[in-house]
Amino acid sequence: MPASAMSSRPEELTERLGAASVETGGEALLKVLREVKNQIIGNKTKKVLYLHLGAVPRIVAVLTSALDADGGSTATNLIVQSAAALGSFSCGVDDGVRAVLDAGGVPHLIRLLSSPEEKVVDAGARSLRMIFQSKLAPKYDFLQENNLKFLLLLLNSKNENVTDLAASIIKHSCVSREEQKVLCDAGVLQRLVCLLEGSLCQRDSSLDSIAAVVKNNSETVSQLVGIKNGIALNLIVELMKDRCPRTRLLSCVCLILIGQASCYVQEHEIKTKLILILTELLEEHGQVGDEAPFALVTLITDNEDLQKQAHSVNVVEKLCNFLRQGHINRKRLQGILLALSELCSRWEKSRNQFMSSMVLNIVSDALKHECVDVRVAACTSISSISRSVKNLFAGHLTDESIVLPLVQLLHDSSSRVQAAALKAMCNVVVDFKDKKTIFIQSGCVKQLVQLSKSMDSALKINAVWALRNLTFHADRAGREHILSELTEAQLAGLICDSEPRVQEQALALVRNLVDGCSETIESIFRENAVILDAVTRQVQHAASPEVCIQGMFALGNVAAGNDFHKEAVMTSLLPPRKEELNPFLLKLLRSSDSLLRTAAVWCVVNLTYPDCPNSSARVSRLRDAGIISQLKAMVNDICLDVKFRARTALGQCTIAEQNAA
Amino acid sequence: MSVLGFALVQFSDLIETMASSKKVITKEEWEKKLNDVKIRKEDMNKLVMNFLVTEGYVEAAEKFRVESGTEPDIDLATITDRMAVKKAVQSGNVEDAIEKVNDLNPEILDTNPELFFHLQQQRMIELIRNGRLEEALEFAQEELAPRGEENQSFLEELEKTVALLAFEDVSNCPVGDLLDMSQRLKTASEVNAAILTSQSHEKDPKLPSLLKMLIWAQNQLDEKAVYPRINDLASAKLEDPVV
Repeated sequence: MPASAMSSRPEELTERLGAASVETGGEALLKVLREVKNQIIGNKTKKVLYLHLGAVPRIVAVLTSALDADGGSTATNLIVQSAAALGSFSCGVDDGVRAVLDAGGVPHLIRLLSSPEEKVVDAGARSLRMIFQSKLAPKYDFLQENNLKFLLLLLNSKNENVTDLAASIIKHSCVSREEQKVLCDAGVLQRLVCLLEGSLCQRDSSLDSIAAVVKNNSETVSQLVGIKNGIALNLIVELMKDRCPRTRLLSCVCLILIGQASCYVQEHEIKTKLILILTELLEEHGQVGDEAPFALVTLITDNEDLQKQAHSVNVVEKLCNFLRQGHINRKRLQGILLALSELCSRWEKSRNQFMSSMVLNIVSDALKHECVDVRVAACTSISSISRSVKNLFAGHLTDESIVLPLVQLLHDSSSRVQAAALKAMCNVVVDFKDKKTIFIQSGCVKQLVQLSKSMDSALKINAVWALRNLTFHADRAGREHILSELTEAQLAGLICDSEPRVQEQALALVRNLVDGCSETIESIFRENAVILDAVTRQVQHAASPEVCIQGMFALGNVAAGNDFHKEAVMTSLLPPRKEELNPFLLKLLRSSDSLLRTAAVWCVVNLTYPDCPNSSARVSRLRDAGIISQLKAMVNDICLDVKFRARTALGQCTIAEQNAA
Repeated sequence: MSVLGFALVQFSDLIETMASSKKVITKEEWEKKLNDVKIRKEDMNKLVMNFLVTEGYVEAAEKFRVESGTEPDIDLATITDRMAVKKAVQSGNVEDAIEKVNDLNPEILDTNPELFFHLQQQRMIELIRNGRLEEALEFAQEELAPRGEENQSFLEELEKTVALLAFEDVSNCPVGDLLDMSQRLKTASEVNAAILTSQSHEKDPKLPSLLKMLIWAQNQLDEKAVYPRINDLASAKLEDPVV
């Protein structure tokens, strides 16, 4: 073929990959392969294009026939070039990995590892490593003896690409405790620790694999620490200060995992160092800077001391500064937002720092980000910040720029985003300042009601929770609006949901609905008092104290209403037909849960309020049911709240009885 | 690094003993002190070898290996390949350079999007330099634009490069510096560093860091003492202390 006719069009090149045979057209094939390889390296668009054209199976076919050929330099070059191309297809493109796997490429690439020629081994090892770096790669079964032997062979190789491959296989496939133990027993850790002192690349891949072997496993950690009198730990700690950023990151990750699985690496000093190094690494370009905030999250999650420590070394400020720089890719943005969420989850000073760093507008933009993970992370930060009563009081979070996108996210196509948005909503709607008008106006009630019917229990609970908080201290119109969207029947249904946590939130919603407002108390008598009946039923029968507590508080609020309301509660608590020896109100007053006792006594306090016409009649019914004597037994309750309320109730009973006499 | 470590210990001893006022150290005293510092010949050789290897002086490295018996920490053959890539970029044969890097190790450009972008950018610059403007435009659309979509930070550089097409006299336009030799050298040294990293080799030689530390240590010492300073690194001549 004359040179001028040589086309570099992907369609033709792919065509020619399948046309020539290794024996007769070796040189021509080699040219085509090289051309394809050079076109796709670094170029995702081209990779996808060639994948669609079906290039991968053809390249695997070339590789196979070249391996089966009798050798010779052309065959060797074909092997090297096709392996390199397959490796590149597997780099950064999931469909590429899938195509190589589907075409059966892996077993052939493994054959390359036993070649006497170093460049063939290199090419095979590099390609396989690319494949094993992908989540899609098949799991390597270490529990099979032959597989384990082969892995050890790779790990002990003198060829760096091969040891790196072994390390990637470990990182990719070592998950269960059993696998960690098998690798450990086979002496893998010893070899990995040797590699910590190897070349720059070997150190990194060794750190990666050590992390996989020790994760969440105190036994393997002790084995690691036991190697040559603790040399491993010293080496890893040294590597925290390495010049190469990737090495610093990986050693930090390793130390964090060791610290979480064992009693090692607990010193305050080293933890502070980890926080500082990870924060510094944010400044690195590329993967290292992207992954650093995630490592920071792992370190500080649920650890209040470290969160305080991080605040004291200005991590919140630094993270906010990064946010303000702009041009942050999605992964890093997600990581920074998650790290800020953790930092602000418990520690008010961090929240203050966050609020004064003027990044709220960036978070509000992130709520509208195209990437699901970023939207979730932004919601999570709002949740953390809104845990601050001070912020809620100040009304910082009820700005349209936060509320409207949050409400929008309740309609998101991803349920993860919906769940995260709901959690944020739960806190934000508490809003003490503007009496919820912005929420009611935003139309979020309708969507919350919709979500409270969700099959996904997390969505359901959080939706009811948000409605509960929205009802809290809302004005009358607001409460009416919520109830009219929700309807009495559905609220009664939620109170009797099969999930106790939904019941609890629904009852708390009722509690807020009838709180301090006799007009809205009326609402629970509508539709044949379906809501009141549901509440009564739960208070009588629910096994979970949390459910009873909310139910009793709800009844207590109703009992704070007029005489009619009080009578209704009396009837609920002490049904006139049943002459039970042990009415359930007695059981509640005797509960071991002090909050439940408090709620029950409060209810009695409201029922016996002396200025009402029928109070004395109620008191005598309570006395007949044994409630008064129970109250007398409670005047020295260990819980102060119970003690005082019980005394108040008894005092009121005496006055009511005197009034009657 | 043991050599430097030892030297620094000596300096810090001095710094401590001269805390109060500036002490004057004569050239004789100084030389005597320096004589007490022991430096191993092999360490010196390793530093020299490290310099030759990192900077790519392959023939010199080979001769030095034979004459001094110092083993390089890298296969010398890889230096030749690396230098060929570097030279290709420096002389504007970027496509050739890319192919060579891919032969050396296909992972380098697959895992360094920034470097890959810079090489492609250089390729476009060369097309413009040679007046192949239509090709350059096509190349920008086909190869560079997708990279800009993948990574926002490339967009700005891409715009700057495409701007070259808008000027008739490119050598006198605001983005004309892209056509300078220095741009080629910048790209070449980026490729060089990436290849070294992929070979598990540090991308900078150690010798300059040692000299930087020497200057730093001298500056520290200046506050405490007057001593024979080295001002000219090339001759390493000890100057007479100026009181």
